[in-house]
Amino acid sequence: MSKQTRVPGSAGSPRRLSRRTFLGVTAGTTVALSLGTFIRSGLGAPRVNVLTWSNTLNVMDDVLREQAREYTKAKGVEVQFEFINQTDLPAKTAAAVESGAGPDVITLWSDGPHLHANALADIGDVAERLGKELKGWTNIAQDIAIVGKSWKAVPWGIIPICITYRSDWLKEVGYPRFPDTFDEMLVMAKKLKDKGHPVGFALGRAIGDGNQSHYPMLWAFGGAEVRKDGKTVAINSPETARAVDYRRKLYQDGETADVLSWDDSSNNRAFLAEAVSVTGNAASIYWAEKKNAPQLRDVTEHALWPTGPAGRFGYSTAISLGVFKFSKVQKEAKEFIGWLLQPKQYSAWMGIGEGMMAGLLNFYEDDPVWKKDPKLEVVRQIPKYVRMPGYPGPPSRPAAEAMVKYVVVNLFARACTGTATAEAIRVAENELKEIYGKA
Amino acid sequence: MATGLVAWPAAGRRRRRLTHEALTGYGLVSPSLFLLLVLLAYPFALAVWISLTDRVLGEPGRFVGLGNFGKLVGDPLFRQTVWNSFVYTLSTVCLKLALGLVLALLLNQEFPFRNGVRAILLLPWIVPTSLSVLTWLWMFDSLFSVINWVLLGLGVISRKIPWLGDPVWAMASVCIVNVWRGLPFFAVSLLAGLMAIPRHLYESADVDGAPALRQFWHITLPLLQPVIAVVVLFSTIWTFADFQIVYILTHGGPVNATQIFATMAYDVALVAGRIGEGSAIALFLFPFLLIVILLLLRRLRAEEGT
Repeated sequence: MSKQTRVPGSAGSPRRLSRRTFLGVTAGTTVALSLGTFIRSGLGAPRVNVLTWSNTLNVMDDVLREQAREYTKAKGVEVQFEFINQTDLPAKTAAAVESGAGPDVITLWSDGPHLHANALADIGDVAERLGKELKGWTNIAQDIAIVGKSWKAVPWGIIPICITYRSDWLKEVGYPRFPDTFDEMLVMAKKLKDKGHPVGFALGRAIGDGNQSHYPMLWAFGGAEVRKDGKTVAINSPETARAVDYRRKLYQDGETADVLSWDDSSNNRAFLAEAVSVTGNAASIYWAEKKNAPQLRDVTEHALWPTGPAGRFGYSTAISLGVFKFSKVQKEAKEFIGWLLQPKQYSAWMGIGEGMMAGLLNFYEDDPVWKKDPKLEVVRQIPKYVRMPGYPGPPSRPAAEAMVKYVVVNLFARACTGTATAEAIRVAENELKEIYGKA
Repeated sequence: MATGLVAWPAAGRRRRRLTHEALTGYGLVSPSLFLLLVLLAYPFALAVWISLTDRVLGEPGRFVGLGNFGKLVGDPLFRQTVWNSFVYTLSTVCLKLALGLVLALLLNQEFPFRNGVRAILLLPWIVPTSLSVLTWLWMFDSLFSVINWVLLGLGVISRKIPWLGDPVWAMASVCIVNVWRGLPFFAVSLLAGLMAIPRHLYESADVDGAPALRQFWHITLPLLQPVIAVVVLFSTIWTFADFQIVYILTHGGPVNATQIFATMAYDVALVAGRIGEGSAIALFLFPFLLIVILLLLRRLRAEEGT
């Protein structure tokens, strides 16, 4: 091999770079860059790194980027958002918690504040100040973020899950509005399927839509995985059996068989492809229609989850912002979170999402976004019906584990694939005893 | 290297030089050794230690001995995971071996553009798995499956196959993708083995009037056996540790029908935060895999000896 590295130069006069020069230049540049970064980190403006999910609606992330720039300009604190795929968030959070290094602010999913309570700094001062200024927090917000007696995160909002349905097809089978009870929905689903428009609620490994569709169904029939103490497994009950029987009937009479393989995006695609008439989802379908299926905007409507013998329930994924104890800029991070939830910023972010997010501060129930489009009125009401997995017990690590192991979704899925109700419940009971027994 | 050092112990000058040489050798090896220790040995030892504790994310945890492993044995979901992992690994390794052998034999024949075809064959193995599996995800999609569309069009099936929605079909689907991705490794390794078999053995067999099948049975298979052993052992280890295919296609569903060690360990350790138990799931098969690795190393050493 030649002793010298040839570097492409101008035509006809090749320049040669000696090995020594190459090493010198490389080492010099590295030292200069490191020194620059070092000086910048030590002497420059404090910097807050925020790790969050990449929203299905990119425009919402654009608003956050813009707000971060605004904040830096106004307060002299640099804020850097890093957006990653929702499914990568648990692994990144785990790595930060374990290594004691990483972002300063972390986005936590539903039970996250409880799962990572030990790694999170108390943020009660900010949360309580926001509560005082903005008409208080909803009950669910407190369940999510208060661990023991301290606020471990500031609830950022929920991704409201409601029924999305085709009003034209419902009218065809005699329903001018979406039925209010699960029993009526079953009758309607059968009529719809007979017309070639089945309903569909994700029963596969859809961490969002699968769980969000099936916890409310279990609760509405009076079933629960655990008692109020959050310890005693209570899934084996006549109420659960009724919910399971109902779910099987819905699958057989009114649903597309595809639901068993559905992930979180399948129902969106099926609805946009006009393959299903009803599904449980965030307002993202309605949003996506703007671009992908404008002809469906007029015939797409939202409804609350139906009621059952025990009432009306919902489960919508909640997201919260927490500050890690290891962060060296805790004060700045907390101040930024407080600023982000102020009406000027929050309304702009929530507003552009048009129903994709709903705030958990009572003030935001009257946000202008809900008046923008009458079809979003339903979405506005969702926070008051929302419960977290583990209900009626408090959110907890076992409740989160039961959810990621799809215990409730699988309970219904087993019944739909032919397992007898008692057997499906027995399997779920064993799984839950295993999970809650470890607590 | 080492034999060189031992072979010249008597000559004094020589020894000094060799000692110096040996020091240089150790010096040169030490960065790699250091990297191995830091990047492999330390995380592994840590994982073993964590699996013996009841550690959850962010908390130190207590030593519980083999408690995690004991609990796993009693966990119905874990027992299903063990069963799934064996079904997944054994069925795909057998299929890859059988199909890989057929493919290698075909590619060993003379035909036009042989080298081009051999290169194309490697594609499934070269393309990043996550990307190719995403394509498969679309091909298995409940609504838009191109496979179903073709089969329906040809009249082979009368209703859509629920590729990822039915427990049995879902397992079949992940196996199909695993075979598709792993086949090139088998075919190319076996092809290399085939090409190394001396031609004159076949020529003598021809002279003796042995038919092709007997030639295959008595010449090809015995001489290919060392390659087959190595390839099968490697593939078994990789398949037991597989994550991407199942995670992307089914995430272990439906109803846990395709839950395997790696996906369950991910859910328990990283999503539910129970990292002691998650590590135990990931390490559960370690003793078994260790035996497989020892066999593999013995086989490789035996081959070096021949």
